[in-house]
Amino acid sequence: MNFEDKSWSREPKLMRQLWAVIKYELLWNIRKKKFLGVLIVAFAITTLNLTLPVILRRTYDMPIESNPNYIVSNSGIGGLMLFLFALVTVMNSISGEFESGTIVPLLTKPISRTLILIGKIAAAFITIFAAYLLLYTYMIVGGTIIYGPQNNLDLTPLCILGDLLSTFVWVSIILALGSLTKNTILTSVIAIMVFLAMNIGSSIISVFTESAWMLHYLPGNGAAGYIKVEGQPTAYAGSISTGTDNITKMIIQYYLHPSANVTYVKVELRGGSPQGGLSSLLKELYSEPLSLVLFRAISVAAAYIIALITLAWYIFKRAQILE
Amino acid sequence: MGRALLKSLGPKPLDLAIETIDLTKRYGSLVAVNRLNLRVGKGTIHGFLGPNGAGKTTTIKILVGLLKPDGGRAIVLGEEVHGDNPRSRLKIGYMPELPKFPRHLKGWELLDIYGQMYGMPLQERRTRIKRLMELVGLKGRENDLIGEYSKGMQQRLGIAQALLSEPELVILDEPSLGLDPVGMVEVREIIREIAREGVTVFLSSHLLSEVEQVCTHISIIHRGVCLAEGPLKDIISKISGSAILEVEVAETPDKIVEAVKRLPFVSNIHVEGSRVIIETNANGDVRPQISRAIIEAGGTIIYMNLRMRSLEETFMRLIMKSR
Repeated sequence: MNFEDKSWSREPKLMRQLWAVIKYELLWNIRKKKFLGVLIVAFAITTLNLTLPVILRRTYDMPIESNPNYIVSNSGIGGLMLFLFALVTVMNSISGEFESGTIVPLLTKPISRTLILIGKIAAAFITIFAAYLLLYTYMIVGGTIIYGPQNNLDLTPLCILGDLLSTFVWVSIILALGSLTKNTILTSVIAIMVFLAMNIGSSIISVFTESAWMLHYLPGNGAAGYIKVEGQPTAYAGSISTGTDNITKMIIQYYLHPSANVTYVKVELRGGSPQGGLSSLLKELYSEPLSLVLFRAISVAAAYIIALITLAWYIFKRAQILE
Repeated sequence: MGRALLKSLGPKPLDLAIETIDLTKRYGSLVAVNRLNLRVGKGTIHGFLGPNGAGKTTTIKILVGLLKPDGGRAIVLGEEVHGDNPRSRLKIGYMPELPKFPRHLKGWELLDIYGQMYGMPLQERRTRIKRLMELVGLKGRENDLIGEYSKGMQQRLGIAQALLSEPELVILDEPSLGLDPVGMVEVREIIREIAREGVTVFLSSHLLSEVEQVCTHISIIHRGVCLAEGPLKDIISKISGSAILEVEVAETPDKIVEAVKRLPFVSNIHVEGSRVIIETNANGDVRPQISRAIIEAGGTIIYMNLRMRSLEETFMRLIMKSR
């Protein structure tokens, strides 16, 4: 074997190296059983969402009505699915490499650690984007077949972007945890605990206290409120959660009601009257424009993503391989 | 003694593939590498020896950028190794001890991705991967997932990825570990072959016989300190003497001992019954001179055996001395 017939230059291009890391990571992502499992669950939930009303109506001999707003009212991947997609995609992106020892040959290649991390994040983006694109396509095709032509389909790219932004808050949390712990199980357990704390905690804070404002700055479901559209006979256009997990739903509401306000409420268990029903238990706290709520949620999500990915990069860049 | 040998036997600074100057690495209170001065000449097969915990793997990890030194300098192929410096790894091929590769990738996929990281063009990668797979005995298994490879096959893949980029320096950490006897012989042949092409090989191994068979130069370290460094034969002869001559004589050996002792190349002599054990410093075969001296002293030689000093003896002598 001749070892001196080298005809290529030793100046690797950054983009070629970046693509190599993306390919390395993508091949891993699409072959992960956990990822495929979550994708199957997401498709199952979407299928159920599409067909359950039809099945129920058939069961009770009720006619199936066309619903041109089916897609717009069902867009936005739920908080749990966003979290699960983030978890299965990046839970072992960094920690798994350290645990298995595969980080050693990778870090001894002539490629900077910064580029490795960028490649891993890019691969996570492509993987999750592809999964969401498939899900939305499936939902649109299924919705159109079952409920007839749909309104506002031009919102779909924005919805996917909103869901990606929401997912990447969790991606950045999990990547930072993976860099810190270098242990996949620990990373997953802490991430699940954070997710549960944010969701259970935010529900309690939002419903029973007057401190819902703090939820605007935490990842997850956020504070609960009502969309109020001035000048409409029915003032409440629907309920909404304002956290980083609900950016897509806020984008849709803003598109439909650009001048709407969000009114935050709390439950007063002792204040209600038997005649007033459930609404008499609600106490309005304060209102703010939906545009501000959306802008703040996007800014908070971006801040978390930037801060946590910077933290992951800082730790990864300085990590020493002892084992 | 190490410093003296280093000065007398080491290559000139311009011809160095690896140079460390007062390299130091601590793990808490333990000094793993203690002001290590290592000089590896270009084009040599340099064995890196030491007992367990001597600091071999730590030194290698510093050379390939996996660990940061606490003091001193490391220069590899003229590039200073500091922090995350991909340039210093551009011309190096490194095979870690018991290498681990991502189980989700196929053998050729891994080499293809690593090749991209080195900036190798597609055609070059294809040709090279095919040849390397043949060389390491993985032909026909390149399309299998690495997760299905045995330990020995992963070891072979480790050698292939270390040679992928046509490196100027190949660092092999225990390349024969986990290989069957046939594999070990093949590895030795590969090392000789790449060295014939002018590639510098830096080989860390516990198998002293392997080192003795393939290496031209060695460094012996213990407790992070270099005890000896230079051409293999010179080190053996300087530390252990070149050879041991075992002579059985018919007569009482007193007169013979006196006669042999006067020979300038005899470093030590002792008597076991009718046998005289003579240790020499000479580089050539000294049996004729010794025979003559014995006969002139009136002795009759019944049996004579020349045994060259082994690396194992030298190694043990050095390590025991430094304890």
